This record gives sequence, structure tokens and C-alpha cells, in this order.
Amino acid sequence: MSQLTKQEVTEIAIENQARAVIYEFLSSLFAKELDGSLINQLASVQGREFLSSVALEPTLAASINTIVNKLMALNTEQARLELAADFCGLFLIDSKTCASPYAGQYIKDDLSKVDTGENIKKSDRALVFGELHQLMMTYLEKSNIQISSDFPEPADHIAVILAYLAHLSLHASHVNQINFINVYVLSWLGDFTEQVKLHDPSGFYTAVAELTLQWVTLDIEQ
Amino acid sequence: MKRRSFLKGILAASYTIATATSVLTPLSALAKTGAAKRDDWLTTGSHFGAFKIKRKNGVIDQVKPFDLDKYPTDMINGIKGMVYNPSRVRYPMVRLDFLLKGHKSDTTQRGDYRFVRVTWDQALTLFKNSLDNIQTNYGPSGLHAGQTGWRATGQLHSSISHMQRAVGMHGNFVKKIGDYSTGAGQTILPYVLGSTEVYAQGTSWPLILDNANTIILWANDPYKNLQVGWNAETHESFEYLAQLKEKIKQGKIRVISIDPVASKTQNYLGCEKIYVNPQTDVALMLAIAYEIYTNDLHDKAFIEGYSLGFDRFVPYLTGEEDGIPKTVQWAEKITAVPADVIKQLAKTMVAGRTQILMGWCIQRQQHGEQPYWMAAVLATMIGQIGLPGGGISYGHHYSSIGVPATKASAPGGFPRNLDEGQKPIFDSTDFKGASSTIPVARWIDAILSPGKVIDANGSKVTYPDIKMMVFSGNNPWSHHQNRNQMKKAFHKLECVVSIDINWTATCRFSDIVLPACTTYERNDIDIYGSYAKRGVLAMQKMVDPLYNSLSDYEIFTRFAKLLGKEQEYTRGMTEFDWLKKLYNDCKDANSGQFEMPEFDQFWQDGYVHFGEGELWTRHADFRADPEINPLGTPSGMIEIHSRKIERYQYDDCKGHPTWMEKSERSHGGPGSDKHPIWMQSCHPDKRLHSQMCESKSYRETYSVQDREPVYLNPEDAKHRGIKDGDVVRVFNDRGQLLAGAVISDNFPKGVIRIHEGAWYGPVGDDGSTAAGAEIGAICSYGDPNTLTQDIGSSKLAQACSAYTCSVDYEKFVGHLPPVTSFNGPTEIAV
Repeated sequence: MSQLTKQEVTEIAIENQARAVIYEFLSSLFAKELDGSLINQLASVQGREFLSSVALEPTLAASINTIVNKLMALNTEQARLELAADFCGLFLIDSKTCASPYAGQYIKDDLSKVDTGENIKKSDRALVFGELHQLMMTYLEKSNIQISSDFPEPADHIAVILAYLAHLSLHASHVNQINFINVYVLSWLGDFTEQVKLHDPSGFYTAVAELTLQWVTLDIEQ
Repeated sequence: MKRRSFLKGILAASYTIATATSVLTPLSALAKTGAAKRDDWLTTGSHFGAFKIKRKNGVIDQVKPFDLDKYPTDMINGIKGMVYNPSRVRYPMVRLDFLLKGHKSDTTQRGDYRFVRVTWDQALTLFKNSLDNIQTNYGPSGLHAGQTGWRATGQLHSSISHMQRAVGMHGNFVKKIGDYSTGAGQTILPYVLGSTEVYAQGTSWPLILDNANTIILWANDPYKNLQVGWNAETHESFEYLAQLKEKIKQGKIRVISIDPVASKTQNYLGCEKIYVNPQTDVALMLAIAYEIYTNDLHDKAFIEGYSLGFDRFVPYLTGEEDGIPKTVQWAEKITAVPADVIKQLAKTMVAGRTQILMGWCIQRQQHGEQPYWMAAVLATMIGQIGLPGGGISYGHHYSSIGVPATKASAPGGFPRNLDEGQKPIFDSTDFKGASSTIPVARWIDAILSPGKVIDANGSKVTYPDIKMMVFSGNNPWSHHQNRNQMKKAFHKLECVVSIDINWTATCRFSDIVLPACTTYERNDIDIYGSYAKRGVLAMQKMVDPLYNSLSDYEIFTRFAKLLGKEQEYTRGMTEFDWLKKLYNDCKDANSGQFEMPEFDQFWQDGYVHFGEGELWTRHADFRADPEINPLGTPSGMIEIHSRKIERYQYDDCKGHPTWMEKSERSHGGPGSDKHPIWMQSCHPDKRLHSQMCESKSYRETYSVQDREPVYLNPEDAKHRGIKDGDVVRVFNDRGQLLAGAVISDNFPKGVIRIHEGAWYGPVGDDGSTAAGAEIGAICSYGDPNTLTQDIGSSKLAQACSAYTCSVDYEKFVGHLPPVTSFNGPTEIAV
């Protein structure tokens, strides 16, 4: 590997910070419903500049545009509540028409065996707070971070995983990031996105899920 | 990773969401030290027994039976699945249309899962506002908060008590009388034997095993039903069943099981079996009585000394009253029990000491009072009531009744009612001419027909005009009959509130859904053994309440605060103060007889043992001296004929036990040409009513193609081209369901079984999984109450009649809809 110049190091650091912002942005959309403050943030000058900047990447532009258009339509309380009901039906209530936000509900391979040496019963994988939660807890602890007390969700929730990727963007080697994304994110994000597409009544969360998948896929390109 | 130029612009936008709202924060000092991680074994209890639990990183990891439990149920394997179920109610939620339009919402949308998350404050405020609205507009008759069920165990957090005390501080409301399990039995038996009998201690098993020559198990499956109990179950009865099995093998006791099906108990004990046509037991009992009477084998001295009204019963028995002598030949035609078998049975029952053990299912049918009454008459004619190993019991299959009990006092519970001097905010007691208490299973009828007057137990009940229901730890969308009728009724309700741990069908059909935590997420206390009173069990919190769920105590303390009554509600005590109080009150009550350690020691030990119990014979005191120890009947005697009931002049419950044809009956009975099959919906073998049905990996140990099993007779199934493992559509004019075929010799021709408690999961007419709220939708999993009829047992008890149910079935062809009862994402092919 050739020696990086000081400027290149600085640029890479800036890019990693930007990547972290994108991961946190995506995390925030899956963490909770779009409330007034989040909508205001995204509608602010900075928010719009941020979204426009992301849309400069051609593969992300369509999803971003859909998100922006849907956001602009959220100008009544009823529209906001309808979107909150979409969020609730997709991510908060487990049903045949939901898209479970928990990685453990999708990942079929016995990843835990690889990491912990334990043989996990397949049936237990249907449970929440299962092995993927335990693994993520271990990763978070090793990184000296934890789930915020006002987010009482298992650690394999998509919002936690994306926030963890934001952390990794700033603190982990590219190799480690790529490994984590391949094993713990891309192994299920496609299925998750399909579920969202299948059951999302209004299309907002389809765009968010697609944006996430597109971004993560883009991010690990060598 | 590639360098990407567009990233440079992102930071320039100064978008600051990252630090403001991240779901991750720096690791706290507490977590760093590991103080939050406790991995020792803790003690707790449940309906399924007591056990020890070990955690791993704050998550329940291993569950093992309590040391004293020698016969644990394998339902213990379903515990984790209840706690960590994807179907947990995670946050307080409100149905969207209800949030938008309140009491004017489109109630036909109930059941479609269109909810939004709200904060606890918002949810409780909406709850209170709805109560305000109902009390203001309709008064107490508009609110029914008395429909309660099996809850979770724990004396402090009993969901019934918390909900009713808190809602009671707001205003008065309609309540229930009776329960679904034993509605007919608990109403008739006080007239006959002076107590409910179903919830009473019975003769100790060792006395039965030592003294009985014959045990009659009448529609009774203790080996299945004793797995669960009202409090933490000890499972000690199984030791006695094991001894009984040995005695049968040695030829020391005869056990004769009278049942349409080969029960789990029959198969375990290897006992004798007599098949009887479903719902015809009273005819069989009458013929036995006829045989005993006409052969002069009845105990005249006992009848004379301890009972009343035999002379009023005999004319009916002999046919003098109605022209039909209740002969063995008469009964054979109705019951399919051969005349000579009935004769032999009659001889056997009077030959030695005979203990009759009745099950409960038999009274969950139309005229369900009659078999219980007639069985008591038979026991009276045999003359052994009050003797060890003789007489009759209505409870030996329930909560370890018959296990020698200690005389210790059990811990009390959090108060259900208001304290003396406390008044609700809306203190009106004006029920507008309607009854404030209605028979438990008539609530749907009441919602549909407000103002209707029905007979019930000697009184007239006027149905209130119910506009709002509150459920807590209760799933009537499992245990009530006729789902399509329920849907119609729910369309009429303005507001439904449900508090539960997982998304039951009742939650799905509610407007406000509040997440309660499970037993394992809170501290509590319980008696070990409802009737055995073996000890006091600490129920130690294993993990913090998941998601945004709260304990019942916390939910309703917050609600009381909203009413400005927090102090009144809690009496100024914390949750742990209450725990100590319940323990210390129990300690005081047992002082001098059963010494209990200080609370801290108890909590550390997890258990206080009261020792072995004492032998006891039911009704022995009455037998010893009926004048000093009379029964609680009007006459103090066993009432073979009841003047009181006769005075009610009911056509479906007369002055003495009577055989009456049912509204529908298989095996040649009414309607059997159209729907020839009897559907038995008894208590399940692998769950407690509907509790634990949601536990996926455990459910998969018995489900068939993800459906609830329907047990089929081999010949009937073959006739319909059905093989083991097929999906079957079961139907009648009331509804339809899908279930998975299990073909078994245990089930005779014309009989199927689907265990009640199978979660309701309707799917749309077009097979869409989002719908299912419409009338007539097929149940995708196999809830038998989709098919049962919602009628009262009689004008006496008005109890649930789930067992009077005829159906037919066929192999399901066509596109198989997914099961929607438990949810979980649609399987993705990887």
C-alpha cells in the first residue's frame, strides 16, 4: 500500500465522518416514527443540503428523491399519523404484514457458532433478544458503547446496527468494517428490504430501506 | 472502500442529526463494572410450576424445574418463547382511526392492525378520557370491566386486581358472575351439595388409593389437566397417579373411564374404558340409577338420613312421571353403551367402595347442570359420600386438589376493591334499570341485545347497554364462543382497552393496547400449590421489563396518579413495600403454626416450606353428624330434588336431574344429518388455555403444517380422503377454520378434538393476511371457538356451552393461507 499523504488522510477522515452521518441518518429513520423535530431537522436548510448532497450519488438519487417528496407531503397531522401507523405496522407490531427490524429474525446461518463456539438451537432463533442480540451486545461493549436507555430494543435492531456502523466508520479499519457489513448486514438487509417493499402502505419506508441497502452495497465496494 | 467525492459535501451541510438522536451512547460506569449482569440462579413460579432461571447477559437463558417438583410439565420449555416472543406488545398503542375519531371511529376496522405508538402518558390519558366519556354519557352500565380471566400468577401483580381497583377509583362498572371453566357446575352444586365443589378441597389421594375398590373417571382427564394450576403448581398429584397406575397393574383398584374419547389419562393408567355418545352422559347415569333402584341396591339408610327429595325423583326414573322408564335399553339407544355394560357398571359401583371423579368439560354444554346433579344423585344412592375412597369429587384434576394439604395461610393479594371510605370519581350506581352483574358468558349477547331480560339462577337479569370493555391479562377472543358473533358485537362498542404481554386476538380487536411485562420481569410472591399450600414462593425478577412494558402495579399506579388518586391507590407504599407487607401478613397469620423467616431471609432463599399435609375426607364431617355439620343447601341435606329450583319453573332445569335433548348433537341427535361430527374443545395438553400458544418453538412440537392439530378418527378421515398431516377445513353454519390432521385411534367415529386456546388468526376472503376482520373469515390456525355456539347452558346457570357443537370437515384444497395468529415475518426463502 502506498503511503498516504497528510491531505489524503484528512480527506479520508472527513469522508468517514460523512459516512458516519449517513449511517446515523438511516439509523434515526428506523429508530422511531418521524416526529415533528425530525421532520423539522430534515426540512431545515442543513437538512435539505444534506439530502441534496447524498442525492449527488446517482445510485442513491432516486430513493432520496422519493424520501424528500414524501417528506414534503407530511404537512398535516393526519399525514404524519398515517406515516406513524405505517412505521408501527412495519416495525413495532409483529404481524404477517410487518418487516421485523431484528436481524436475528432473518439470519439463518449459525453465525453465533462461529463467534462464540456455542451450538445454538435453531428454534431459539425465532425469539427476540436472541443470539444476534447477544453478539451485538458484545461488540458494543468492546467498543465502549451501549444502547441508549430511551431505546429499549434488542441490539440486533436495524437502528442499532446502523448506528454501530456509524461508530465503526470512525473507529474501525476498512477491513473490519467490510467484514462486519458482509456477515451481519448484507446477509439479511436484502430480505428485510423485500419485506418492507411487500408491506409498506405508502412507500416512504420502502425508499428508506432501499436507500439503506443501496448505500451499504455502495459503501463496501472496493 | 472506494473514495467518493459526494461524501465531502455531506459534512459541509453541517447536518447534525448524528449526535442529537443516536440510539447508542458511551458505555455507562455501571455497565463497565458488570454490576448489571447477574448470572446466578433465581427462583420464580407460574401456572406451569415453579422453576429456577439463569440469565446470560441480562437475558433468560436456562430454565429448570424447582427442586421440589418431581413431575414438571414439559411446558417449561415454552417459557422463554412467551417472554422473548416477537409478538410482544412492545409499546402503548392506539388504533389509528380511534386516535383520529375517538368514540366515533369506524369500529369495523378493528382487527386490521392499523395502530400508532403513543407514550404511556398519552395512552393512559386516552384511556381515562374514554372512561370519562362513558361515565358521563351512559353511566356505569356503559362500562364492562369485569370480564376477567386466568391472568399470570403472582399475588401482588394480579392483573385483575390492579385493573379493577384502578378503574373502580374512576367509576363503577358492570361485572361478571361465574366463569367459563365451571359455570354450570358451580351454579348447580350449591343447590345439591351446598358448595361449588369444583373449587373445594377433595378427599386425599392416599385415602382414595387405600380405600377405593373402583374409581370412576367420568369425562375426566387429570393426567392432562394437572400440568397447570391456578397458582404455582406443585405437580404432586402425579405421584398419586403413578401409584394408581401401579395398583391397577396389581389388580388392587379398578379404574373405569367413561368418555367418548380415549383420554391421555386412560392411556397412561391403562385403565378400563366405556365409550359413551357425546352429550348423553345423563341418560347413562339415569340408567345406572334405574338399574340400582330396580334391583334394590341403593343405600336406603343413607338416602333417608342425608338427602332430600329421592321420592320426587323416583317417579321420573321409573317413567311414572313422563312415561319413559330410564331403563338400560332406553339408554343404550341414546348413549350407545350396551345394556349389559350398563348393568355391570351399576353392579360394580355398588359392590365395593366407589370413588366418582368428575371432570369439568361435561358441564360446558347445553344443560351442563344435569350431569353434575345426576352424578351427585348416583353417589347418594351408592351411599358413600363422606367415606374415604367413596363419594364424589368434582376437582381432582385441578390444581392438585386431593394432595394432602397443610393448614397454612397463603399470602393475600393486592386489594381488588376500593378501601373503606374511598369513593370513585364517578360514583353513580345508577345502572339505568339494568343488572350490574351478568353471567360471565352472556356479555356478547348483552352487547348485541341491550335491555333484553333473561332468567339466571332464580333472578331476572336485564342486559346493560355496554359501550366500553376493559380487559387485562384476559383473552376472550380465545375462550368465548362464536367468533363471528363476537365481531358483530365489537362493531357496537365505542372503546375497547386491552392490557397484555403479547398480541392476542383480543389486543388486535382493541382500540388502546397497553404492554404489561411478564411474570419474569417483576418481583412477586405466590403460594406454592393452590390447595396443597406447600409453601410460599418468591417470584424474583429475572430481567427488567422488555421494551416499554410495565408491571401491572406500575401501569395502574400511573393511571391512579392521572386520577389524582395515586396515594389512595398505593396506600403510599412502593411495590417492594407491598411485597413485604403481603409476606409479613402471611407470616403473622401463620405465627405459632408455621414459622416463617424474616422477609430478607425468605427473599434470599426463594422459598419457605410448610411441610407435608394432612389426610382429609370430603364431607366426612357431614356424614358424622349432618345436624351439626349440615351442607350449605337450603335443607342442609343433599338435594336430589330441589324445591328452590322447581319454584323457578325453568323448562331447561327442572326440580330434579333430567335427560334433555340438545340443540345440536352428533350420533343421531338433532342436526346430525347436516353436521354429523361432534367437536370436543377441551383444555389443551400443551398450554394453559391460550397462554403459551404463542411460544413458537414449543408450539412446533405439536402443530401440523403450522396449524393447531385436529384429532380425527381413522375411518372418518379415510372416508373423507384425509391423511395424517393434511390440512383440514372444519366448518358449520357459524364459521370455518383450518387445522392440521392427526389421525388417531383415540378418537371414535363422529368425534373430533381441537384443543381450546388455539390463537384466532382470521384471514381475508381473498386470502389476504391483512384482512380477516370481516364476518365469516376463515381462521388460519384452528381456533375451535370459531365454530362453537354462544348459548347459555340453561336458565339456571347461563353458563358457556362450548361442548354443544356439531361440525363437519373436509380436506382443504386450494391455496393455503399463512397462519396469521402469531405473526412473525413471512418466511423468506434464502
